[in-house]
Amino acid sequence: MLDTLDTLEAIGQDAGLRYAAPEDLTEASALAEASDALKTAIREGNGLALANEFGSRVMQLVQVNLSPGREDEEPEEEGDEPEPSRPTGPDSL
Amino acid sequence: MTSSVNSITAETPRGSIACVGVGMTLGSHLTPLARSHIQQADVVFAAVSDNVVEMWLERMHPDVRSLQPYYGEGKPRMVTYREWVEVMMTEVRAGKRVCAVFYGHPGIFAWSPHKVIEVARAEGFAARMEPGISAEDCLYADLGIDPGKFGCQHLEASQLLYYDHEIDPTGYVVLWQVGMVGNRSIARDGHGGGHRELLLERLTQDYPLDLEVTIYRCATLPIEQPRIRRLTLQELPHAEISAEETVVFPPAKPLKRNRRFIERLAALDNEQVA
Ligand SMILES: C[S@@+](CC[C@H](N)C(=O)[O-])C[C@H]1O[C@@H](n2cnc3c(N)ncnc32)[C@H](O)[C@@H]1O
Repeated sequence: MLDTLDTLEAIGQDAGLRYAAPEDLTEASALAEASDALKTAIREGNGLALANEFGSRVMQLVQVNLSPGREDEEPEEEGDEPEPSRPTGPDSL
Repeated sequence: MTSSVNSITAETPRGSIACVGVGMTLGSHLTPLARSHIQQADVVFAAVSDNVVEMWLERMHPDVRSLQPYYGEGKPRMVTYREWVEVMMTEVRAGKRVCAVFYGHPGIFAWSPHKVIEVARAEGFAARMEPGISAEDCLYADLGIDPGKFGCQHLEASQLLYYDHEIDPTGYVVLWQVGMVGNRSIARDGHGGGHRELLLERLTQDYPLDLEVTIYRCATLPIEQPRIRRLTLQELPHAEISAEETVVFPPAKPLKRNRRFIERLAALDNEQVA
């Protein structure tokens, strides 16, 4: 029997299931034993209901910091232009 | 000779690192090669967008270590990302095969994957990055955009304010991290409005206020559909824009012909015919 994670993976890998309408997906044989949380999530079209099964956790998204003065940067001289990084050419390999 | 080759092999550190992406949508985007890196690693570090995705990874490997606990309230993100590089390198130096898993493409708008590869290589360890399907790839498919049709610029929203970028309004412009503009650490939400007013001011140097822009979120779970919202540029400062959304500007001016080069091309063609 597939549990919720296996079922999500199976839906993600199946062109028929991935784009099925929610009402068809919840009726699909692959989902015969799906949990209530998963069926609700499918009906609602988002993962909020999965918190009932897995708990919820605030996840931070990786973000880049491209502003000047960040911790990894060389201090900039006043009026300095940032150096464009040069692609590695064959002679610098 | 043989013995020196052997001694080099014996001394070469066995530790290595592979930075891979799981793509954006659970189950749909993980490449066979990325999965293999995960399965063959001694230790897996994870910086993914969703706790369900993290649990899914745990199915693939018994030692998945979340990088989430390194974030902290009020702690600059760059401090967190430096720590990530250090924890990963500690395992590499201990001789482990390390796999670092990021959502999307590990090398797109991300600092630590590039950095850890640079540090590992500088210390003589094998290090590589495997591409993954990014939000960029998904938006081309979901919004029906071909970046080659008019050209396509990708810019980070804060960087657009800090630096004098030239926007090309004849092509598409994709603005990343609009929901995070001016936000260097966690839990400073609510500061976005003022920063976004400045962003609007900058954008109106190149665009009309009534330009229709698209706010896009691609599916992260395979039971979701992409979220595509359209609004006018002037609505941008007050729109709800999450950390998981990207703003797309359509071409706002026609491409201009380059008469000088067209004539030179024609001259070349004529020369060849003659
Ligand atoms: C630091 S970047 C990481 C991008 C990621 N490495 C990738 O390959 O797509 C974070 C930004 O990616 C974009 N992003 C993240 N998740 C997204 C999603 N589900 N849909 C659309 N854009 C997303 C947003 O612009 C967000 O501010």
